[in-house]
Amino acid sequence: MSKPLITAIAAACALAVPALGQAREVTIATQLKNYGGDGAYLAVYLTDAKGAYAGTLWVAGGKAKYYKHLADWSRLSAGDAKRLNGVTGASVGAGRTLRVTADLADALIDAGYEIRIDAAVEDMRDSPSEVRLPLTAAGAGKAQAGKQYIQSASFQLK
Amino acid sequence: MNWKAVHRWLGLSLGTVALVLGLSGALLALDPVQEAWQAPTAPADLPVATLVQQVQQAMPGVEEIRRLPSGAVAAFGFDGDQAQARYVDATSGQLLGNYQPSSMPRWVKNLHRALLLGDGGRWGAAATALAMVLLSISGLVLLVRRMGGWRHVAGRVRGTLAQRLHVLAGRVVLALLLSSITALTMSASTLGLLELEAGPEPDVVSSASTGADLAPAQLPLLRDLGVGDLHRVNLPDAGDPTDTWQVATTRGQGWIDRHSGDTLAWQEATLAQRLDDWARVLHTGESAWPWAVVMGLAGLCVLLFWASGVLIWWQGRRNAVHIADNSRLQQAEVLIFVASEGGSTWGFAQALHAALVRAGRRVHSSALEHFQITPTAQQVFILAATHGDGQPPAHACHALERIAAQGGSGVPVTVLGFGDRQYPAFCAYAQAVEQALRAQGHASLLPLELIHQQSAQQFARWGEALAQALGQPLAIDYRPRLPATTALTLVERRDYPGQADRPTAILRFAWPRQPWFARLLGCGLGRFEAGDLVGIVPPGNAVARYYSLASGSADGFLEICVRQWPGGVCSAHLLGLKPGDSTQAFIRANPGFTLSGRPPSVLLIGAGTGVAPLAGFIRRNDERTPMHLYFGARDPATDYYFGSEIARWQAEQRVASVNTIFSRVPGGGYVQEILQRDAERLRKLLAAGAAVRVCGSRPMAQGVGEVLDALLAPLGLDVNALKAKGRYAEDLF
Repeated sequence: MSKPLITAIAAACALAVPALGQAREVTIATQLKNYGGDGAYLAVYLTDAKGAYAGTLWVAGGKAKYYKHLADWSRLSAGDAKRLNGVTGASVGAGRTLRVTADLADALIDAGYEIRIDAAVEDMRDSPSEVRLPLTAAGAGKAQAGKQYIQSASFQLK
Repeated sequence: MNWKAVHRWLGLSLGTVALVLGLSGALLALDPVQEAWQAPTAPADLPVATLVQQVQQAMPGVEEIRRLPSGAVAAFGFDGDQAQARYVDATSGQLLGNYQPSSMPRWVKNLHRALLLGDGGRWGAAATALAMVLLSISGLVLLVRRMGGWRHVAGRVRGTLAQRLHVLAGRVVLALLLSSITALTMSASTLGLLELEAGPEPDVVSSASTGADLAPAQLPLLRDLGVGDLHRVNLPDAGDPTDTWQVATTRGQGWIDRHSGDTLAWQEATLAQRLDDWARVLHTGESAWPWAVVMGLAGLCVLLFWASGVLIWWQGRRNAVHIADNSRLQQAEVLIFVASEGGSTWGFAQALHAALVRAGRRVHSSALEHFQITPTAQQVFILAATHGDGQPPAHACHALERIAAQGGSGVPVTVLGFGDRQYPAFCAYAQAVEQALRAQGHASLLPLELIHQQSAQQFARWGEALAQALGQPLAIDYRPRLPATTALTLVERRDYPGQADRPTAILRFAWPRQPWFARLLGCGLGRFEAGDLVGIVPPGNAVARYYSLASGSADGFLEICVRQWPGGVCSAHLLGLKPGDSTQAFIRANPGFTLSGRPPSVLLIGAGTGVAPLAGFIRRNDERTPMHLYFGARDPATDYYFGSEIARWQAEQRVASVNTIFSRVPGGGYVQEILQRDAERLRKLLAAGAAVRVCGSRPMAQGVGEVLDALLAPLGLDVNALKAKGRYAEDLF
């Protein structure tokens, strides 16, 4: 696609997961569709094998009062007082790409964890868990399309 | 408070931003209109449970159902992997067309609420809304003032085309005021000044159960809720057994257990939420498309306001009097303070100022509200016009208090009044100023002089007296500032040659219609009505003479009745015109005299050529208001002006009764006598609210006034009381 991409690059973030030996750098790229609305609020977070919340990687969108529209993340992470520490940025415009880089403990890979992305756009429908990417070594580099706002989402392991 | 300055400067600055908001708002108003014919309105009493059940059948994976502000229903779900949003026919549950939140590109809304500038822009838009509130209020004050009180606000608007457009558009000011106030409410909630959240969302889950979900009809909250009160209902996620129903209504939000049907939590809507809901409905018109149309038109009117306002400001600047060599207040030896409504008194101030400067004085001129006596001042002059019924010009409304607060001093303060003897309160304001000054113990160089109708001759005489009092020659060169004139071509004249000494004629000129843009710029002759005045500037002469018009621009021509005045330059010039010849002219409105409002009947009283404007009223009486003409002249054979037309108009019922009297025929008399004769009928008409227009000579008007005073006395009324109400007006010469 030849659209002017201004990539929002998220700084590396420490995940609230105990460091078990070696860490690996994960880069998650989320490209949005041209859905014809204002900038999207996105929450990129991790759930464990039981579907329980494991940590927040990034929240795009500046106003906390709209976070309830990122419904799954908002509900699952409600108990995590530090869920926003150092992982927030601007909302992501239609057609643009959000790149999030994080150091994840090696033990999380191939252990049933999932990267989930919630999306919400003003005046449009909320889209909780729009994308769910299984965090497996084999799944790296495989793009998945979202239901409403996400053109494709994928992650790379380093 | 100087409403005019507030209105002007806010309008020129933030009004320009308001223009952007108004136009984008007008575009956004199309949405509710378009939405209204996309889908039918859901019946308000239909239970939400029934609606959900029907939609579930038509759209199996439905996740959310919304009742849109327009009353239509939209359902959201998935068709396979494809997100789906469809309008729904609430009564049948049938899916209709695709739902889209807005047909406008997104930037229109962002322009409207934030000027495309993000959060900073939202503050800018809010400031503009506040400016619109102030503009609306100041505009309303000025409108009422201009129209002469609330009762006349709906009356006919006069002035240049730009002024008329501005005032006409001004009648939507209440819609704009409402729009701005609701915009401020909405801004307050978006900007976080008004807390809309009822509290954190409750952490609730459906009870653990392996049983099947309850049907919507088994959920009491949905069963008892009418669609009319629904905002939104979210169905529980099929894949998550702990998920709940969530329903938002006009009264609040509830969460329902999918297995037990219990209401797990309820959050009552806060006052702030209700307020915000109302503001949104009123501002956007989203729940009633005709209201959206009204708001959209109000938005468009901002363009009209802005453009006409800028023109008015520009024309005002162009016509403003410029005072050359205006010394600083603290250094001036002579101070001139001016109170002027229309600006013409400034022309006299300018002449006086220039003459004193030429005589070697340092002079400072400013408006009367700045009145003060400085240590360097040796002479102070006040040039004061009177507005309306003895009021000061609007800008000087607090000047008397200021004069009283200054205290006395040894510096003589001389007052020169300007006014019009036609009005009962001739120069009343100048007299009030004079009294206030003398009460303070100020001396005066010259006694109070009152100048009638901006008479240049009278002003020149006062100047000579002033020069003598100052002991210094003064060359006051006053040139009346005439409006731009337009050439009028005579198309027809009807002569009344019977009076050899004083020839008289009715002259009809073509109305040179201007293209609309010329009229917008204030060029050429504006529109006029019978009773307005046409100023004629005879060749080689700087002073205009005014004639009452016997026609309106609706008639397509200008008609005046001219009688040779002994030694009159202008009447000689006019009576010398032949068809095809032209003369220079301009229009001067005569708002108190032309007919406005809808009086139950009108008494037209005139003598001689004074019948002209009265004939004009009758000619345009298309509504057939009962008009009664009382007309006095000398001889039906020589000076019954408009006689044949009046007979025709009577046949057309444009005039209900014609009563004439002639002084030079046997058994004749003056117009007062036929009024006296008709006293009973006149009293009845006047008691019922008849309006009176008198046109003719001053002695005649005085006689008429006396007769009517006597006739009105039993009603507890007199001519002055009727004048105060605008029911009685004179046009005298």
